[in-house]
Amino acid sequence: MFVMITKLDNLFGVLKSRPSKRLIGAYACDSHTLDAIYKAINLGIVEATIVGDTNLIEQTCKKDNLDMSKFTVVHEPVDVKAAAKAVDMINKGEGNLLMKGLLSTDKYMRAILNKENGLVPPKAVLSHVTVIENPNYHKLLVVGDVAIIPQPDFSQKVAIAKYLINTAKGLGIETPKLAVIAATEQVMEKMQACVDASILAKMGDRGQLGKVIIDGPLSFDLAVDKESVEIKGLKSPVAGDADCLLFPNIESGNVFYKTNTKFCGAELGAFVAGAKCPCVLSSRGDSVKTKLYSIALSALLAK
Amino acid sequence: MAISSLNELTDVLKQKARKFKIAVACGNDANTINALYEAADNGFATPVLIGDETKIQDIIKEQNLDGSLFNIIDEKDDLKALNLALKMVKNDEADVLMKGLIGTDKFLHAVLNKENGLMKPKAVMSYVCAVEVPKYHKLLFVTDTAVLPYPDLSQKIAMLKYSIAMAKQFGIEKPKVALIGASEKINNGFQNSNDYAVMCKMVERGQLPDCIIDGPLDIFLACDKESVAIKGVSTPVNGDADILLFPNLEACNSFYKGLMLFAGGELAGLIQGTEKPVVVMSRSESEKSKYYCVALACLMCLNK
Repeated sequence: MFVMITKLDNLFGVLKSRPSKRLIGAYACDSHTLDAIYKAINLGIVEATIVGDTNLIEQTCKKDNLDMSKFTVVHEPVDVKAAAKAVDMINKGEGNLLMKGLLSTDKYMRAILNKENGLVPPKAVLSHVTVIENPNYHKLLVVGDVAIIPQPDFSQKVAIAKYLINTAKGLGIETPKLAVIAATEQVMEKMQACVDASILAKMGDRGQLGKVIIDGPLSFDLAVDKESVEIKGLKSPVAGDADCLLFPNIESGNVFYKTNTKFCGAELGAFVAGAKCPCVLSSRGDSVKTKLYSIALSALLAK
Repeated sequence: MAISSLNELTDVLKQKARKFKIAVACGNDANTINALYEAADNGFATPVLIGDETKIQDIIKEQNLDGSLFNIIDEKDDLKALNLALKMVKNDEADVLMKGLIGTDKFLHAVLNKENGLMKPKAVMSYVCAVEVPKYHKLLFVTDTAVLPYPDLSQKIAMLKYSIAMAKQFGIEKPKVALIGASEKINNGFQNSNDYAVMCKMVERGQLPDCIIDGPLDIFLACDKESVAIKGVSTPVNGDADILLFPNLEACNSFYKGLMLFAGGELAGLIQGTEKPVVVMSRSESEKSKYYCVALACLMCLNK
């Protein structure tokens, strides 16, 4: 059954109606992470196994008044080893999604990227997918890459496009509309963003990226604003109604999502795509809501 | 109504009752004289043969032609004859420049000369042929059959503009352009398929002349509706292409020569990028094709 998820809050209801997924928390000993996981468990979104220092986890649970019986704990007091163990459990099929805890992003990513025991198939591209709910837009926006690939080349853009499309489909959008963002909708031969966008659009036409409608180059306003499209008289099957935005570089994507959250009252969920399972990469600065949405989104897309 | 065959092309010219003056550099050449004779006899061309008059008269006699249809300017020196022909076209004393018995190199060199040549400023020189094959339901405009070996994106764009302009002169309002490749799939490793994707988007965005364009498409998808249906490819060209733009000279040259040799094709071709039509024919072309080349040059002069 296909339910279209149009608000991030809808994620919870949809997940409850599906077989439950197990989250593996990599060194998730801190309040920030444990609180979010605990809420997710209580909402019925996921089951969880926490790999980390049992003593630390106990202390945190006591302090935050969390019932430890709600999740499984695997004792591993060293953060790097805990991350490796968590990754190992995913590889063994003991969990469906991974979440970062009280260790640096560096260490977390290294465990995922480990060539022998990691989660990334050879030649796979790791990329960051963000789903944004902006009160001023009529639907969710799936955007990338705002955090991992600085200057994606063409093949990386293809990978990003696939992750965005896959995420949109996971949200129940049967034929997502993907806008490849540039500074203008005109094809400027000297701007690689325009050239790559044209090529991606043609790949979309040819069905090489599955069931999707792609247009680009499109400037951001044309991608999401019907009025701008009308004023400009642009004919585009995507413009004004994009589900997915593919940014030409990390700066544009990063500024975009931060502007959304800081100035527009937007909420978001995010995860790392390209590994064997969705990996939550939340930072301590993220709100509990963002963490919950990120867990929910990852659970939704987990196999 | 669009002109759908090369015969119709000459009919249109016959009806116009206008004689286009054709300046021939080194006209002492039987091939050239025969092609021009038919055009003059049909009332749409006035040939001015510049070259060795004695030799020219001999050829006219040998071929048993009516000499009164030709103007002759005696100039035994090849380069001088060439420059005189060029000057006549440049000064609007003639409508078309045509190569006679002089090396193509020398001839094109003069056409390309920045000060005294015939190229439009900054224009790319290219070549477009209108090809007629019995097995296709209309004319095919094919480029580049003769000049650009490995056109880059900007050269491909020039080729596109030239072929659209020619198709429009044949009365095709919105030509269907197929950008030819070996497959319809985009492969980022192939520069041609990348260029094609960019060109399609540029047309969509109104940055290039109005046309229906798609590519990469293979010849089947470009010219055969059945193949399109069988393959299930959704393409606005839909096996009904007017224009075929090829990725390189080898492919295009082999394509048109194959049609001439094995498929009973005829053609009319013209150098592109010039201020006025310039006819450079290959000797191995059929008599008819040579006549059509002259006719095409005259058609391109209409309404200008």
